[in-house]
Amino acid sequence: MTTRPPRIWISNATPAVGEIVRLRTQIAHPMESGFRIDAAGRPIPRHIVTRFEARLDDRLLLEWEPQSAISQNPYLEFTFAARQPGTLRMTWIDDLGETITAEKDITLA
Amino acid sequence: MTSSRESRWRPSRRQILMTGPALALAPLPAFAQVTTTARPQPDAAEADRIAAEFAAGALPLPEGLVLDLPVLGDNPGAVPVRVYLDRPVTPDYWCAEMIVIAELNPRPLACRLRFTQDTGSADLAVRLRLIRSMHVRALARMNDGRVLTVRRPITVTAGGCGM
Repeated sequence: MTTRPPRIWISNATPAVGEIVRLRTQIAHPMESGFRIDAAGRPIPRHIVTRFEARLDDRLLLEWEPQSAISQNPYLEFTFAARQPGTLRMTWIDDLGETITAEKDITLA
Repeated sequence: MTSSRESRWRPSRRQILMTGPALALAPLPAFAQVTTTARPQPDAAEADRIAAEFAAGALPLPEGLVLDLPVLGDNPGAVPVRVYLDRPVTPDYWCAEMIVIAELNPRPLACRLRFTQDTGSADLAVRLRLIRSMHVRALARMNDGRVLTVRRPITVTAGGCGM
């Protein structure tokens, strides 16, 4: 789908125990709404991200289900409490089944 | 002497003159011809239905949830929206699920979010595309089954970029 890697910003990759960590993420994706018609009058098929999840190792932190009202190149900002170290794994899945992943290591200060 | 010099530059002058009509006949960029079947909802009825389905019988309480929106959405293709709880999450007070509704969009449900007790927080920011000025609404279901809601208006400049 795209070769541009996700843009990930983390407020603190070495947080204190219980500290609220903020993530800002953005991927490159057309988020084609399915409402548009091309120059030849044919509908352009819907192509949007339908699912995102964030896990710290095996702990599920967050599931996000965007719809057509979410902007192109979807931006998502979320927070979680750092209770254990681990690898934060983020996965985006679109309605063609394509996935984009990103990882950040979290170590407790 | 003079005639041979003229014959050397005359063809290029003709080429220059020909570029005018050639440019006029060039097709318009493709994006100018793309249209959309997206139409705004006539009222908030569909938004109310989505909210009622989410609340599942609970009475949504207009408290506890904060919705940050700009005063003016100068780019309706990317309107920054943030939703969060107005007090910290604890093991006894946490949010299980949240939805954001763009009331008059063709499909009003903008996104759904599920948290777990492990998240330890409930704070979301996304960018919406809005087809016109409208109210944006958010609902949150807490761990004890209570449903919180907040609703705010937003004015956008022009409609539905990319929709």
